[in-house]
Amino acid sequence: MNVGSLFQPTSIAVVGASRSPEKIGHQVLVNLGAFDGTVYPVNPSAEGEILGREFVGSTAEIDDDVDLALVAVPAPVVPDVIEECAAAGIDAAVIYAGGFAEAGPEGEDRQNQIVETATDHEMAVLGPNTSGFVIPGDGLCGSFASGVEEVPAGGTCVIAQSGGVAHSLAFQTLREGRGLSAMVGLGNRATVGFPEAIAHFDDHEGTDAIVLHVEGTDRGRELLEASRTADTPVIAYKVGESDVGAFAESHTGALTGDHELYLAGFQQYGIPTVESTQELLDGAAVLGDGPRPSGPNVGVITAQAGPGIIIADRIQRSGGRLPELADATSEEIAAILPGITYAENPVDTGRPMPEFGDVVAAVAEDDAVDVVLVNELYEEALGLPVDRMRSLVETVEKPIVFATDGPPADFEADVAALRDLGIPVFHSPERAADVVSLLARYGALAGGSGGGRRGTETNDETAESTGVSTDV
Amino acid sequence: MSDRSGAVDGSTDLDTATRIDGDAIASIIERARAADRTTLTEAESKSLLDAAGIETPDRAVVGDPEEAITAAEAIGYPVVAKVSSAAVTHKSEWADGAGVALDLADADAVADATAAIREAAAAEGIDAEVLIEDAADLEGGTETIVGGMNTPSFGPVTLVGLGGVFAEVYEDTAHRIAPVSEPEARAAVESLTAAPLLSGYRGRPPGDVDALVETIRAVGDLLVETPAIDEIDVNPVLVSPDGAVALDALVVLEG
Repeated sequence: MNVGSLFQPTSIAVVGASRSPEKIGHQVLVNLGAFDGTVYPVNPSAEGEILGREFVGSTAEIDDDVDLALVAVPAPVVPDVIEECAAAGIDAAVIYAGGFAEAGPEGEDRQNQIVETATDHEMAVLGPNTSGFVIPGDGLCGSFASGVEEVPAGGTCVIAQSGGVAHSLAFQTLREGRGLSAMVGLGNRATVGFPEAIAHFDDHEGTDAIVLHVEGTDRGRELLEASRTADTPVIAYKVGESDVGAFAESHTGALTGDHELYLAGFQQYGIPTVESTQELLDGAAVLGDGPRPSGPNVGVITAQAGPGIIIADRIQRSGGRLPELADATSEEIAAILPGITYAENPVDTGRPMPEFGDVVAAVAEDDAVDVVLVNELYEEALGLPVDRMRSLVETVEKPIVFATDGPPADFEADVAALRDLGIPVFHSPERAADVVSLLARYGALAGGSGGGRRGTETNDETAESTGVSTDV
Repeated sequence: MSDRSGAVDGSTDLDTATRIDGDAIASIIERARAADRTTLTEAESKSLLDAAGIETPDRAVVGDPEEAITAAEAIGYPVVAKVSSAAVTHKSEWADGAGVALDLADADAVADATAAIREAAAAEGIDAEVLIEDAADLEGGTETIVGGMNTPSFGPVTLVGLGGVFAEVYEDTAHRIAPVSEPEARAAVESLTAAPLLSGYRGRPPGDVDALVETIRAVGDLLVETPAIDEIDVNPVLVSPDGAVALDALVVLEG
């Protein structure tokens, strides 16, 4: 099966292309406006041109090697359309319509027909029952949703079971100005499921992190294995505790649903999990852009005690550790700030001050610390310690995350300067703590380099020796 | 536990070949298949666990009171007598409680219990034998459950929990996908809310957690090595200072 024809096509047929703006077949065509390959609108009952392209009656009439068919026709005719596409030598298809495996016996029959055709012809079929996919860096929008073509190129690849969740994540990144390397809604997973999508985007040049939204799949172990095999960091958000299937019917299985199996499985295979779309995207942005943590130990430096306590509490509840700092570090901090409020971890300077950046650097340089979280509310007279951070990131290969807030007009320049240094900035203590907790869990599972996962020599002992609970 | 040969170095490469007796397992399964059964008896299930390196009590399957006494004397008193029949799955609820007789301290008690089981079986018109088994000292350890099943999505998976209300009411169980490495099995045990009870509580002796960990791994390996098994339920596994013993077991074959 050639997943490349699906995600890297040079020519596309839109089956069910329509002049009526309210039809999916119209929006799909509009969304291909930025695609620099060839596009063929296919509709047996239309003639003339649409958006500057000539209608053709069927895929069989196209005198060209078409890689991908975007199938925007109703469910009952989809099996025949897929047959025609296969006969025309098209390697991949996206099926948008619902009314398949999710919709009773008749729908199941339809999906079985599609899978059979696709399997016989080794076709990569995304969907049915999906909104499609988008690869912003290639100007390739294989989705029928409007507006999603505006999502800029970024480093995060979203692979979501639900097309709706995929689009929700896409719009979140648009609002935050981050963008995506790719967005895929898997829908009913005819022949393209998590394993195929993960493997493809692991090799995708623009992707530096992969996030998964998982409701449930009958290929759970393959999903785990593909995630473990990927060199790109993978983060998962497993949703839904109620779909227990056959497992609940058995004697032993009646004690649980299979939700816990997913969580245990991700843990065993070294994939950190989160519990919100925001954590998913924050985590991907931080893991994708910056250095990867080599353990679960977080050094916290705060200029205000209260937010620091929120942060310390939240990190320790979510799989991170606040280790004791080395004596030399505490002495160094005491030398920088005689009479400091609290020179242990978290380090509390009591207020912003000119030496704050030096205190951050002292903690960051401590070998006991794998991840650094800095909390400092903005003070106009001092600003944020941008210069000190600039020299720090040159010497210390650890993730550094800032939590700060202030009047937007005043501190935006400093925030932008930190972000330019590769230091992620969040505007609430919880959001910063959550992403740092994820980094800590990732550090505990991956043992740092992205290797050391299950099946290699170091992983399990690392996970155990760090004492991080597996069932968070 | 006779065999701790599994990986302890943190790798997940499992040394299953040395701990699982595949021929013994195949012949147990073959016999059940020949009788057109997918549910193994307790005795068969325990023989299967034996072949997987899981500790089980000394026992014998007998037909009448005389054989029962001979077996009990060989095992040593006290013993328990249980109905052994493919037709009976809930032994303790069967025949108004005749199905399980605990703490039989002498030959008369063994003979009576055996006769009661045989009579009840005759009254119900079912084939039943009697399992005579070394009585475990339940006060001397903590009851846990270890289970496993072949799931459609993940293949073989294992479950561990503490026995009684902890597993059933509080759903205090932990799952791992098999094969399960030593650290993974240990983490599963340690993740249980009730785990501190295993290390000794209110005068109870601390349990051999290593042996429980090996039991989880052995159940996982058994499922991995034997696709014909759909489900294994070992409940309880008594974890004492001396090890972990499977006191009851139910194995279900692929239908």
